[in-house]
Amino acid sequence: MNGLHGIIFSYEKEPGLRELVEHRMPASIPFGGRYRIIDFMLSNMQNAGVTDVGIVLHGNYQSLLDHVGNGKTWDMSRKHGGLRILPPFADNRKYRSGEEFEGKMQALAGVRSYLEQIRQDYVVVADSDLIINIDIDEVYKAHLASGADITCVCTANYKKTEEATFFLLGDDNKVVKTLCSPKKPEGYHCLEIYILSKELLLKLVDTCEAEEKVSFRSDVLNGMGDQLDIRAFVFDGMAAQIRTVKEYYDRSIDALNPRIYRALSTPERPIRAKEDDETPTYLAPESRCVNALIADGCEIAGSVENSIIFPGVRIAKGASVRNSVLFKGTVIEENASISYVIADKNVTIRRGGKLTGHESYPMVISKGSTI
Amino acid sequence: MKKECIAMLLAGGQGSRLYVLTENMAKPAVPFGGKFRIIDFPLSNCTNAGIDTVGVLTQYRPLELNSYIGSGQPWDLDRDNGGVHILPPYQSATGASWYKGTANAIYQNIGFVDMYDPEYVVVLSGDHIYKMDYADMVERHKKAGAACTISVMEVPWSEASRFGLMSVDEEDNITEFAEKPKEPKSNLASMGIYVFSWSKMREFLIADENNPDSENDFGKNIIPAMIEKGEKMLAYRFAGYWKDVGTLDALWDANMDMLATGSGLDLFEHDWPIYGRSTSAPPAFIGKNASTHHSVITRGCVVEGAAENSVLSENSTIEEGASVQYSILMPGAVVKAGAQVAYAIIGENTVVGENAVIGSVPDGAEGWGITVVGPETKVPENYELKANHMLSKNMKEVVR
Repeated sequence: MNGLHGIIFSYEKEPGLRELVEHRMPASIPFGGRYRIIDFMLSNMQNAGVTDVGIVLHGNYQSLLDHVGNGKTWDMSRKHGGLRILPPFADNRKYRSGEEFEGKMQALAGVRSYLEQIRQDYVVVADSDLIINIDIDEVYKAHLASGADITCVCTANYKKTEEATFFLLGDDNKVVKTLCSPKKPEGYHCLEIYILSKELLLKLVDTCEAEEKVSFRSDVLNGMGDQLDIRAFVFDGMAAQIRTVKEYYDRSIDALNPRIYRALSTPERPIRAKEDDETPTYLAPESRCVNALIADGCEIAGSVENSIIFPGVRIAKGASVRNSVLFKGTVIEENASISYVIADKNVTIRRGGKLTGHESYPMVISKGSTI
Repeated sequence: MKKECIAMLLAGGQGSRLYVLTENMAKPAVPFGGKFRIIDFPLSNCTNAGIDTVGVLTQYRPLELNSYIGSGQPWDLDRDNGGVHILPPYQSATGASWYKGTANAIYQNIGFVDMYDPEYVVVLSGDHIYKMDYADMVERHKKAGAACTISVMEVPWSEASRFGLMSVDEEDNITEFAEKPKEPKSNLASMGIYVFSWSKMREFLIADENNPDSENDFGKNIIPAMIEKGEKMLAYRFAGYWKDVGTLDALWDANMDMLATGSGLDLFEHDWPIYGRSTSAPPAFIGKNASTHHSVITRGCVVEGAAENSVLSENSTIEEGASVQYSILMPGAVVKAGAQVAYAIIGENTVVGENAVIGSVPDGAEGWGITVVGPETKVPENYELKANHMLSKNMKEVVR
């Protein structure tokens, strides 16, 4: 126990993610051949020695519950603390349980009694849809050293992201201005990872609730920016917020860059995913694989290039898979060929079928379809 | 606490015929098939067969094995009642001794078995690669009212004299047992997998312990004694894939069987999964200039060179310009740029230095054989290890 408590927010609707969120929340979208996106934040917390984490649920959270289970994967199935699932408005009489929250502050007000019982003095608040491998302990130490009220993780290397928050920084990384969803991005892109004390968090929750304010970024960071010492922690590694199919596709293919592949999960800071219990992958004599990430339990007899292959995928003889992302259980039958395709779970492409998306608009095939 | 059936897994063997691979670990902990260890097979067979109580008898270098088994969770054997238990030799009021033989190991744990008061005890070895439904074997044993059922498989007559052989009558009752006879009368070989009715087994274990001339071994002493006493002994015929991986050649062969479609070793069947304790490594990465041909790969593998007809285990690496053919890279093994590995077993976390040459393709020359580098070994750049040679961590090179 290191004095830091984790809170992770999940969200339901991201219309830009189209078919990928038909059956799941953004947090449980598969990524990188093995992971669900939330694995990154849970592992970051585990790697920083955070043992107690609450996940604030939103919308249709069944697929997320199935995935995180009792938290055993991240060593968070504990007698004391560990992983806690927080259904929306679990203990707030003002809202009815089962309703959806509109912003982080409102969601936190909905689980206020949980917040009161936090055993640690500091809280790290983060989103579940961020792909990042970050040393949160280092951010925590920086927060303690600077004496800031709130420390926000941000980055200077961002790609175009919709609905993002940006910071303009002054001396000592002080946040002088917060820009919410600006038309033209400037400054540092906020990665929505915040560290603050439990005491301040409770105070902010109460203030916002009394004033019927719901948003952390616009009501706290922007609205109370002049009363608080808000500082930035500038992160320069790979970080990706996934809000659209195009972003999902681009960041997936980025993982084929050896530098990014090696940084995603390192021996010192591994990203842990629920065990799939798959056997190793069999590459048949006639197979050909170049520039690919391939998970366990696959049988590959065709050719794979520039693609991400999840567990249990079968690619038959003569089939060709290029520039594609194939989720668990995809079957590509003989002589079928696909390019720029994202195939959701258990998709079958029949013998001889040809499907081609475009780099700027990858084709997404819904879960369980046969084509 | 009562269980109808429990399993006792003999995992104490030194595995001396695996030489450098078992210098620091017991044979059942030796990696197999990319992401497994040998012991995953009997443990997974138990859990798939519905046997939820397993005693694992350990003695030789047990640390690796103990931490691998842990709570038994990967095999779903972390149970409130039953589950997996590690059973090392221990001190009792009358003294302490090592396990003298396979039968003595169980004799010393009669107290453990009695806690579960089972009707049947399945005795297993920790050095076989196979998938078997022990529940079906127990069912046969039960129906026949046998005292002991031994699983057997037909072996070629030419090889029969290497095995313990069972002669049977028309109902598969065992009439005679011969340990590695010069002139075999049967080709039904014992696979070292037994089902005993516990009350009978208990009786024979105690009698055997009181016989000072006994080697306290199931094959040599208990089974012959039971036949002699006229107990009902049944042979249970098994026809699937089974391999004793007690030698380096057999271990290499069994790994290669994962690549041979006709071998019968199929790890893709979903109705009989083999479980193992896995690392959290990312999926395998195949680089832009890599060439992979007919191989098994798994999580954490990084292939930027050439892999051909090989089994690449978790977190193993083939750097650019390196080539690996007909070989087994054990977990964490690294083959540096320009190195060549052929017909070899490279131990866990071993690094083969740049441009080193390990092993060679069979050229018909006398004395050719599989080349082996032990675990945790740093093979220097340009080093040459000839076919049929073995290299250990302290850089001692010997002919196998």
